[in-house]
Amino acid sequence: MTHKALKIGATTVVLVLAFGGLLWSTLQDGTEYYKHVDEVMAQPDAWYGKRLQLHGYVVPASILRKRDSLDYKFKVESKGYVVPATYSGIVPDTFKDDAEVVLKGTLTPEGFQVEPNGVMAKCPSKYEPKSGSATAPPGV
Amino acid sequence: MASLGSFVLLATFVVSIYAAAISVAGARRGSRRFVESGIGALYLTTALATVASGIIVHAFVVGDYTIRYVQQYSDAAQPLFYKLTSYWGGLDGSILFWVFLLSLFGTIAVATNRERHRELIPYVVAVIAVVQAFFLFLMIVHRNPFDTFLTAVPDDGRGLNPLLQNPYMVIHPPSLYIGFVGMTIPFAFGMAALITGHLDDAWLRAVRRWTMLSWLFLSFGLTLGMIWAYEELGWGGYWGWDPVENAGLLPWFTATAFLHSVIVQERRAMLRIWNVTLVIVTFFLTIFGTFMTRSGVVQSVHAFGEDRDLALMFTGFMALTLIFSFGWVIRRLPLLRSRNELDSWLSREAAFLANNWILLFSALFVLFATMFPTLSEAVTGERLTVGPPFFNKWMAPIGLILLFLTGAAPLLAWRKSTASNLREQFLWPVAAALVTGGALVALGVRAWSSGICFALCGFVTATIVQEFYRGARVRQGATGTDLLTAIIGLVGRNKRRYGGYIVHLGIVLVFFGFAGDGFKQEEQVLLKPGQSATVGHFTVRHDAIRVTDDGQKQMITGHLTVFEDGREIGRLYPAKWFFRKHEDQPTTEVAIRRSFAEDLYVVMPAFDLKDQSASLHIVINPLVNWIWVGFGIMALGTGIALLPDTAFAFATAKLPAAAAARTTALLLTLLFALPGAVRAQHNDTGQPVPVVARTPFERAMQKKLICMCGGCGRQLLSECQCGMASDMRAELARLVSEGRTEEQIIQYYVAKYGSQEPLAAPIDEGFNRLAWAVPYLIGLGSFGLLGVIAFRWTRRREAAATPDPAPADPALEARLDEELRDLD
Repeated sequence: MTHKALKIGATTVVLVLAFGGLLWSTLQDGTEYYKHVDEVMAQPDAWYGKRLQLHGYVVPASILRKRDSLDYKFKVESKGYVVPATYSGIVPDTFKDDAEVVLKGTLTPEGFQVEPNGVMAKCPSKYEPKSGSATAPPGV
Repeated sequence: MASLGSFVLLATFVVSIYAAAISVAGARRGSRRFVESGIGALYLTTALATVASGIIVHAFVVGDYTIRYVQQYSDAAQPLFYKLTSYWGGLDGSILFWVFLLSLFGTIAVATNRERHRELIPYVVAVIAVVQAFFLFLMIVHRNPFDTFLTAVPDDGRGLNPLLQNPYMVIHPPSLYIGFVGMTIPFAFGMAALITGHLDDAWLRAVRRWTMLSWLFLSFGLTLGMIWAYEELGWGGYWGWDPVENAGLLPWFTATAFLHSVIVQERRAMLRIWNVTLVIVTFFLTIFGTFMTRSGVVQSVHAFGEDRDLALMFTGFMALTLIFSFGWVIRRLPLLRSRNELDSWLSREAAFLANNWILLFSALFVLFATMFPTLSEAVTGERLTVGPPFFNKWMAPIGLILLFLTGAAPLLAWRKSTASNLREQFLWPVAAALVTGGALVALGVRAWSSGICFALCGFVTATIVQEFYRGARVRQGATGTDLLTAIIGLVGRNKRRYGGYIVHLGIVLVFFGFAGDGFKQEEQVLLKPGQSATVGHFTVRHDAIRVTDDGQKQMITGHLTVFEDGREIGRLYPAKWFFRKHEDQPTTEVAIRRSFAEDLYVVMPAFDLKDQSASLHIVINPLVNWIWVGFGIMALGTGIALLPDTAFAFATAKLPAAAAARTTALLLTLLFALPGAVRAQHNDTGQPVPVVARTPFERAMQKKLICMCGGCGRQLLSECQCGMASDMRAELARLVSEGRTEEQIIQYYVAKYGSQEPLAAPIDEGFNRLAWAVPYLIGLGSFGLLGVIAFRWTRRREAAATPDPAPADPALEARLDEELRDLD
């Protein structure tokens, strides 16, 4: 192995390690678990305080709004498990009874606290006809 | 017609395969006839793809709902314009559009290069034909746009998604496609060079313009996508690191890297392996981006349908592409050895190399983060996701480093910079950065990351100004013209270099706009009529909610009054539109009060008609318009770099200095004088719910006139509820029944009221809708103007050639060239 190859090799290793380390450390606090309600509520203690993207369905007639405010309380469920949730802010149009939602936030013993702008209602028909054929918005 | 369409697709497929096979055979046997036949076959595929496109467009226009694709993406009520653009509104059609563009580009590229690069052409044809055949194969076996309904045929179509019924969405996809598809041409030439072993710079020269042009369209497409997200999706921002957006960004990074590293290969005969690799990776990423957005591999809130078969076919094609192309790279490694070595890290080629690494790293990082949920699920079984904050944490510093290199690279010399020329070159730009930075600190602007960005913007701008100034001084000394003519001459002498600097200036403005995001303010409120909310120095008062209808959609509009520091400055009308057949997915119509300092951006995501309350999302977006202006300048710069050599003959020749100075003055005025506060929002037009207009013409006329009662504040006739308005509507109805034309009716009103007062024309919606186009028009317009003037002068010079025995002093010219080279 020549001197030059050694230098290049060492530089590469150092760079890769440095970037890898940085990536790893930022990933630690940048990631969120993507979980379904039933997975989380089977053992809620294990999830308290962790950032989650919680997938579930809005329990019919559970959406309550405080008068003259944007404070919401509602329940989401999947496979029989239910969790109450609180949110303050504007909800998307598609947020209604039985809607499939993904909530961003943290789980506490009182329920799931959704962070600002953390309600995403999945609407399978956003960019495609209802038959479910695959399309993206053209391009992008 | 549908069966004809399917047949044409099949024929195109067969011809493509033939073109590939005969070209390879021709190249291997050295048969001129075979090669010519392959070229002919490629031309034929263009004709066939045009016919297929014609058939599908025809089906859309006449409303042939026996074809599934037509039925799914259009309906009878759609305006003709959107019927035409439904062609690329869905997956199947977009693939056909892709094939059409590819065959067209391939034909142009082959036709312009067949004499100059004779040895490459057969393989270029083969590569293009194979890529084309893959997409045709997709259509034929899996996603045929000409599929028909086997049993019951519906009477009407489902209609194009309302979100896509928007002018940006009409230009955005084709622009992005042109960028994506255009990248296939450099790939084809690169592969041809690898296969034939003709690895000198010839292939690079052949594809330079293609890459630049594709890059321009890719940038344009990305910008339009941002504007669309900003104005139509209504979440207050323009870039959300959504997988679909990222898909377009990936090849942009590598193409940008390629445009820079090509220069190093030309100047220093280095980075040859790297350039071939970049071309391959760019092409791969265009295919990968298409795959990512179409196959449902990556989940996004946009929730695309999953399509496993399509995913499999794409994966197969991508794997083959990688194996085949890198296989050839490895085989040709001995030929690709670099002839020079890096002399010093303080050289321009080192800076270019750093820029390339960072761009490639950006592409890999975005790719990694976009695929992260899929990757983590595959590896650990846990689905982990990363959000925009994660992207921003990484991309903000990366962007700043790139911005720094944009300013630093031109200041470094090729091979090695000495201490003295570093001092000389960096003095002013660094001073500019320090002054900007110091001023910001004094003003108390946050340092990270916007403050640094502003300082770097100052640094890069100073670099560019210095480059132009020094180059022009040298030229001025040599030619004795004024400074402005010298600048034009300078640009004309090295269009790619100085066009590139103008592109950099555009990049600076884009970054300037990005930095504004750090000062964003937003608020979500629920307001009842009469209540108001304050964000920053704006106060927004909610007045009322009105419901109108124009036949295609119902519109719920919030009427808001805006105050700045207590003074009333205008009204805003955010709205929600409920399109027929798509009532469950209303579109959000954002109201924006634009200025170059900041946008006041108001959305009404929810409302309650019972108590007239409106939920409002109010955002102040500082500096955001500079992003769009920056793109306009980038387009201008790319345009200059792409101009043919003759275009600048006027300025490199001797010509009346005053004339050139006038041109420049004109251009500068165009660029800088046009700005003014442009406002874009939809106007609250349409029919009050109790519909009275009987014909579309009458309805249209009601929107062109206003109520003259004096008490209702110039409301449109179609809207006003007062008694006077209904009298006026009755009068209008009478005029319409009499069969008068629009012009006659307008004349009638002007005569009756003695002025143009009853006309609503000044609030012309068409104009407001076009307001976004201003930067592009400036860019294109000034580019066009420059071209026209240039060509005119070139002609005039030829005519008047005799009295002016041109290059007066060859020695002088030679010295100038020398000096310019030194500057390089």
